[in-house]
Amino acid sequence: MQLESPLILASGILDENGYTMRRILEEGAAAVVTKSIGSTERPGFTPPVVVDLGENLLNAIGLSNPGIDHFAGEISIAKGIGKPVIGSIFGATAEEFSFLASKMESYGADAIELNLSCPHVKGFGSEVGSDPVLVEEIVTEVKAKVSIPVFAKLTPNVTDIVKIAKAAEKADALVLINTVRAIHIDIYARRPTLSNAYGGLSGPAIKPIGVRAVYDIYSETSKEIIGCGGISNFEDVIEYIMAGARAVEIGTALRTAGRAIFDIIKKDIISYLEAEGIGSIQEIIGAGVKR
Amino acid sequence: MIHADITKKEKLSPTVSTLYFHWNADVRPGQFVMVWVPGTGEIPMSLSHIGKEKAFTIKNYGPTSDKLIKLEPGQRIFFRGPYGRPFSDVKRKTLLIGGGSGMASLHPLINRNAFGLIAARTREEILFMNEFESGKVKVTTDDGSYGIKGNVLAGLKDLDVEEFDMIFACGPEIMLYNLYKYLKGKNVRAELSLERLMKCGIGVCDSCSINGFQLCRDGPTFTMDQLLYMNEFGTEKLTFSGTRVNVH
Repeated sequence: MQLESPLILASGILDENGYTMRRILEEGAAAVVTKSIGSTERPGFTPPVVVDLGENLLNAIGLSNPGIDHFAGEISIAKGIGKPVIGSIFGATAEEFSFLASKMESYGADAIELNLSCPHVKGFGSEVGSDPVLVEEIVTEVKAKVSIPVFAKLTPNVTDIVKIAKAAEKADALVLINTVRAIHIDIYARRPTLSNAYGGLSGPAIKPIGVRAVYDIYSETSKEIIGCGGISNFEDVIEYIMAGARAVEIGTALRTAGRAIFDIIKKDIISYLEAEGIGSIQEIIGAGVKR
Repeated sequence: MIHADITKKEKLSPTVSTLYFHWNADVRPGQFVMVWVPGTGEIPMSLSHIGKEKAFTIKNYGPTSDKLIKLEPGQRIFFRGPYGRPFSDVKRKTLLIGGGSGMASLHPLINRNAFGLIAARTREEILFMNEFESGKVKVTTDDGSYGIKGNVLAGLKDLDVEEFDMIFACGPEIMLYNLYKYLKGKNVRAELSLERLMKCGIGVCDSCSINGFQLCRDGPTFTMDQLLYMNEFGTEKLTFSGTRVNVH
């Protein structure tokens, strides 16, 4: 897949409504990943579904989605501008994933992102993505079913992420990482703030965890990697690229910087490359990995 | 989450109450907070009073507002904010058009330069009518139990909207859409404060978006010029799960 820049909108942030995805593409993202879509409609959790931690964010939206049969319209609205739209899907079994992937392909999605990593819903996401046997089965079946690229988004909430990455090696690329499982307690209400108690932590706090995952997997496999987790400026993007990523996904930073963040970072990367005498960003992929 | 104790409760009608609390924050007209009832839910609420003492005016319409409206002075409330783009600051002649509990967010704008048009379903849902100067308020009710029978358009019939320096409106989307169509093409300045389903309140979840603009962050107040390019306004919205449905 060809991208005009390495900057992609991450799944779960401003990507439920086709018009929003389209606007984010118009305002500078090279591609967008949709909210994760399942086989049936899910309302998700009752608010509070977010805890506003300033630059960081704790969320448990609960995989709310209209169901795959109601998502074709959003994809076609988002695709109106002609940039790539990556369809994120979640399921419990390999059959469910491959059914969803072929639906997404028929709607015109340019690639599939497998959500093997949402940390806060029972039976989905990281529960599926922590089992290397199941991960291998899902990736194998989806790859056999669709002809568009397949990305596997992995969870950091495992003991050994390299093991999961190797299980997902038939994927065209790995997306590293999803949010980190976490809890916030309101000390005046004396209970967890999120209605689901558990949520996923995102934002600058998790960037070093994401960079470590990219670094480890770049060092131990030959997979193409999309970095994700806590990116809010050009330095963060370069750091992920130097750890081994070819592109990055940005989400939580939109909360503070707004939709303009993609354009801002793009310009800053160009200035950085010029100032450092680097011809193209491809030259520095993995450049920060100790040999 | 911010917490405060309720200092006073004012029952405005059988279904509507105002809860007062101390909160030392700079809040501007049209802004809102996300109010949390632990164990029940979290909902967006406009602040109806934004001076040293803050307040929101609640009508019960769901489990969270139902719990809130039953709270009494001395009990604790939890909230976060203030969020959203406020109404512009206008010193001259204003027309305030409020539909139902939409009057709550217009309440801070009531002053001697303001003329009010209140559109309610029925007599007991008319809010803040007596806070306008005498002769400077009109009321419509859907059931004709008070004022002019009909919707907001019935109330606009013998008003010259062009004589106001600014029109501020808040209410259900259908009412605002009818108002927008009525005002379009006229020589007016107007800001409409929209109401849509909201989950996060901070511009990340996409539940309240309208043509890529987040109500909670880019709005909830929008100008006539901004609304001109929003084909989802008055037509389509997403449900709690994200399913696209008609606004009606």
